[in-house]
Amino acid sequence: MHLCRFHFLIALLCAAALAILGAPLANAQGPNPAQVENKTCLACHANRDLAMKLPGGETLSVYTDEAQFNASVHGKRGQRCTTCHANITAYPHPAVTARDRRDYALQMYTVCRQCHEKVYQQAIDSIHSKDIAAGNRNAAVCTDCHTAHYTTDPHNPRSKIPQTCRQCHSTIFDQYKSSVHGAALLDQSNPDVPTCVECHGVHQIADPTTNAFRLKSPELCATCHTDRAKMKKYNLSTNVLNTYVADFHGSTVELFEKQSPDAPTNKAVCYDCHGVHDIRSAKDPKSSVVKENLLKTCQQCHPDATTDFPSSWMSHYDASPTKYPAVYYINLFYTILIPVVIGGMLAFVLLDAARRILNRFQKPGSHSR
Amino acid sequence: MSEQQHYVRFSVAQRIEHWVQMLSFTALALTGIPQKFVGAGWAETWIKVMGGIEIVRVIHHAAAIVMALACIYHVVVVGYKIFVLRVRWTMFPRLDDLFDALDVVRYNLGLAKERIKLARYSFEEKAEYWAFVWGAIIMGVTGFMMWNPINTARFLPGDLIPAAKAAHGGEALLAVLAILVWHFYGVHIKTFSQAMFSGKLTRAQMEHEHALELERIEAGQVDPSPEPETIKKRERVFIPVAAILSALMLVSLFLFVNYEQTAITTLPRRAQVQVFAPITPTPTIRAGAPAPTAAALKELPASHAGRTTCNNCHANNIGPKNPADHAGRTDATCTACHKMPGAAPAPTVAPTTKPTTAPGAPAAPTTQPPTTGGIKVLPASHAGRTICNACHETGAAGPKNPADHAGRTDATCVACHKLP
Repeated sequence: MHLCRFHFLIALLCAAALAILGAPLANAQGPNPAQVENKTCLACHANRDLAMKLPGGETLSVYTDEAQFNASVHGKRGQRCTTCHANITAYPHPAVTARDRRDYALQMYTVCRQCHEKVYQQAIDSIHSKDIAAGNRNAAVCTDCHTAHYTTDPHNPRSKIPQTCRQCHSTIFDQYKSSVHGAALLDQSNPDVPTCVECHGVHQIADPTTNAFRLKSPELCATCHTDRAKMKKYNLSTNVLNTYVADFHGSTVELFEKQSPDAPTNKAVCYDCHGVHDIRSAKDPKSSVVKENLLKTCQQCHPDATTDFPSSWMSHYDASPTKYPAVYYINLFYTILIPVVIGGMLAFVLLDAARRILNRFQKPGSHSR
Repeated sequence: MSEQQHYVRFSVAQRIEHWVQMLSFTALALTGIPQKFVGAGWAETWIKVMGGIEIVRVIHHAAAIVMALACIYHVVVVGYKIFVLRVRWTMFPRLDDLFDALDVVRYNLGLAKERIKLARYSFEEKAEYWAFVWGAIIMGVTGFMMWNPINTARFLPGDLIPAAKAAHGGEALLAVLAILVWHFYGVHIKTFSQAMFSGKLTRAQMEHEHALELERIEAGQVDPSPEPETIKKRERVFIPVAAILSALMLVSLFLFVNYEQTAITTLPRRAQVQVFAPITPTPTIRAGAPAPTAAALKELPASHAGRTTCNNCHANNIGPKNPADHAGRTDATCTACHKMPGAAPAPTVAPTTKPTTAPGAPAAPTTQPPTTGGIKVLPASHAGRTICNACHETGAAGPKNPADHAGRTDATCVACHKLP
């Protein structure tokens, strides 16, 4: 209870200080709550131990680190505490109705909308917001990623992004960090590899378990993996999408994506073979697509597959005399055979037609017409 | 010479067979060719019109089964004709067919006066028939390989499955184009043949297309039908053999369709990760150094009891200077880490209004400042404060009132404690 008393004291002090010092100011500008100096709030809230007991039994810290706030994007712009805590205009403060800390966060995050309408609207379409709406209190809100008071540039450094998501998705982070993408980002600060948001989006984070997401995923991978400049740096082929689409899996997935984007399909997409968050370099001996492991990967969908089955997938190669020669020479055979046969037929047919027409004019009544 | 005279060319059974083959071929072409050209706009539109790729594949498979059944039927019928009826092998290719074709070309070029006389099946028809036989074998084998890739890879190198796909597509294109050019010209454009509708050809068509056959007919050279007794005798052998072979072919077809299902029915695994796995119970302070525990707090010297304006000294080289990382910290934050003597880590009261702007004058409204000695001057920060017990009664902030102060009200404090 002593904290309430304490609050009361501070408020009185502040009120007194304002009444005495700020009288001319207050007269000039009116009692705008936004004019409450952050220092006024910090008089109490700079205390690390300042906390309140919530009805649910949890303790809500009401401490704010002034230096850290001042270093935040909001602090640098001189935002006031009361811009967000607009309901607090005096002491005692309005009663906190939140049952627990999560409840408090869920009540408060909507204030971000005041200034950030556009991203707020995007976030409303996200899986997080949908989960919140469906009653999952754990789903992330603005402040879970950006923090309430210490908001800094969320993607600087880029490695901060997976760290942010890690707060709730730690198992996925653990997979990501050892993946070819994650390791490059976290160990080498590689600017090209995707972080979480390149695939999942930033505010408008779609549910990645839907059929639509699955069908669209090859395009997602292709945004980087068909980028010549980017792939050249790592000596990677940009032909991966073409060769995938030319294959049975890819043709089907592409057709589904275009024609029935919400339909389920069991045809493999990139991540079914390469892995999702734990994706490795195709040269990595642990990779799911390296030759030694490919059968096991195929068996995920084709449990009866045997040793030679994986070679029925052309491994993103175009057929050539050295890679998949059977395919290459069959294609070559038909490339020659079709024009020759059909050309021959056309020649025969046209010649025959010409003779018939000629006969009609030259030899009326001829047996041969 | 009557144009009205007609010659029976195909029996009803042959015509039905042709229609079944024609319809299944058309269905296969319509559903197969766009699959070969996936990626092209027209192909994808056409697939959509037909109900989407899954339906297109179902139609393609169904038509393939129909065509396979028709082929099995054809094999049995041809076997019956060869082994039981022992008909002339009119469809069998001969070297003469090649010369026939050359003769026709020569005639068409004007190098020969008369058009060659052709038999019941001309080189054009034989070419088409045997192309169909060849095509059906290629399409059947490669189709099986694609339909049953797992079992194919047990016996053949896996590379042959994409090769089968290439051959299936190439052969299909060849077949469709051949039908459009060769067959359509031969039976629809040159003269419109009724052979597969009414089953008959006109005399003029017979003269032109099958002059030798016409001569045979007019010479009364009817193919002799074997004696009923002979037929019965031959059937006794043929029927069991044909039945066994048909059964084998039908079983093969059944296997063709049902040999394996795993590629079709299984679903790829979902990522088996726990999606929501917070690293810790959601931290209340998400950034910054963790608050030190009470044990880690440095207790300040006893003399510092009640002091609140830390920076007045420690920012100005009186006493230990603040470390560099303390820059910018206000007095209010000091007690978060530095423990006041004799007190629990207590919240410090320190209004952040600067002392320079703090007025001293109307401080203690109710009492006269005592003049006696021993009065403790309160810290400068306390200027103007009047609700002393709010902090000091419980020790919530600053030193707790001594036991003997119990019951004293705020108004009495300044009697002894001097406001700055």
